[in-house]
Amino acid sequence: MIHSYIRPRKKSAITQETLLMFTFFGITLLMLLLTYVFLAYKDYSFVRDAQAISKERALLEKNLVKMKNEIVYIEKQKQFSQTIYTQNSVLKDSIANLFDLVPQRITLSQAKLLENGLVLYGITPNKDVYNFMLQAPLRSIFHRTYSSFYPAQNGWLRFVSTNYSDEEELDNED
Amino acid sequence: MLDKFLETLYNKVFVNIVVEGSKTNVYMELCTGNSKLEMIHNTHEVFETNTLSTQMLEYIESYTRETPYFYISILDNSLAQGVIPTCDKGRLSYYHDVSASEYKCSANNWTYFTSKTDLYSIEKKYHKIGVDFIFSPFTVLSHFFKDKITSDLAMYILIETSTISIAIFSNGELLYGDHLNTHHIIEEDGLTSGDLDEDIDLNLDEGIDLEDIDVDGDEMELIDDFGDIEDLDTLEDIDEFAGHKDIEEELYEAAEEPKSISTESSFNEDYQRFTLIQSCIAAYYKDEKYESSFIENVYVADGVGVSSELKRYLEEEMFLNVYVRQANISMEVCELAKMEFDV
Repeated sequence: MIHSYIRPRKKSAITQETLLMFTFFGITLLMLLLTYVFLAYKDYSFVRDAQAISKERALLEKNLVKMKNEIVYIEKQKQFSQTIYTQNSVLKDSIANLFDLVPQRITLSQAKLLENGLVLYGITPNKDVYNFMLQAPLRSIFHRTYSSFYPAQNGWLRFVSTNYSDEEELDNED
Repeated sequence: MLDKFLETLYNKVFVNIVVEGSKTNVYMELCTGNSKLEMIHNTHEVFETNTLSTQMLEYIESYTRETPYFYISILDNSLAQGVIPTCDKGRLSYYHDVSASEYKCSANNWTYFTSKTDLYSIEKKYHKIGVDFIFSPFTVLSHFFKDKITSDLAMYILIETSTISIAIFSNGELLYGDHLNTHHIIEEDGLTSGDLDEDIDLNLDEGIDLEDIDVDGDEMELIDDFGDIEDLDTLEDIDEFAGHKDIEEELYEAAEEPKSISTESSFNEDYQRFTLIQSCIAAYYKDEKYESSFIENVYVADGVGVSSELKRYLEEEMFLNVYVRQANISMEVCELAKMEFDV
């Protein structure tokens, strides 16, 4: 101010109306920006989740393969156990049948099951009892039977009966 | 920041209001540019009122509503205004009691002042449109004759419809100044057109008969003082006196439009102006407060279209070299407003 007695009023293009307009546009822009940020975050979150799910899926697929293998292994084990169980049942029955074969007058002291044979240790009153009552059924079961005797202190005879089944002949029977 | 940017997008409107008696001259200028203003349109309108009428308000608002950057400038027409030939605050009261005045220092050597009450009344009068600048007629005068006031001693007069602002500058320094109201004098003296018809036999075709002019005692003394000039009877003295003429201004004056035809009413007003100027010069010479120097040249900024009679009175009665420049006061006010805007 160099000449005028008074100072000029402050001039501004921002009137109440333009201020209201700028406020309105400002709020609108802010809302748009916030929406954009929200959608961008959601998009990022979605991509991140998709990646995590993809990784999890791959892991699950890997585990699935592993579990399938385990199932196969377990099934094999189960089958194998069933086989063993069956074999044991058969063996049990065989042993039961074996002991059923032993007459009352002969006493067994030891029995050894071999892969393709049976060794019996026991006491018999005499050879005839043994030959007729035990050896005869053993011969019907096994292909080869060998018996040996030696006397016990009480006058009875201790015996060792060794019995074998020939595999070739078993295959032929099958 | 945003305001600065928006300011560059808008045009600026300068509204300049000059009250001329019972009329108001409103001059508008539409400018573009921010640092350097360039006028793209201007218009002016005269309203038959000296208040802010509805028509004037609508006219101004039709321009100002286009842009928020509009500046209302008003020329102060207060009667209680004047100038003081110093900027020293301690010495202001020696010339005038400025306790109830608003004052500003100009060019670091003179002060112009006006009544605070009148400033408030102007602001109140135009409160519907607001006021940005109020300029003193002395500022307009000094700006109008800025190419002359730095030269030798001369008297500068701004003539408005109802007032005269007189300032005497010597080499850019103010020596004396006064602001006078012509209508006030007319009413005080009861000097009307009818009175003149009765008291003075005026033949306008032949010009004024100086013998018939009735002047009071002081004025007679002044004229007697001027009578000493009759002693300058040698050719050398006359040449020396003529040597102070402003040839450049005379050529400028000759190139201007021919003077307006004198009518009875303009003659009365010009006579009153002459009387005021005469009394003002007498006061300047006699008042011991002011440094007196002999005035040879008078530059008149004619804002109303005075008749050639005024010039003739001054030249023949007071032996002054008178140069009249036509002035569009509202445009000068606009120039000042633009200067303020640049600052």
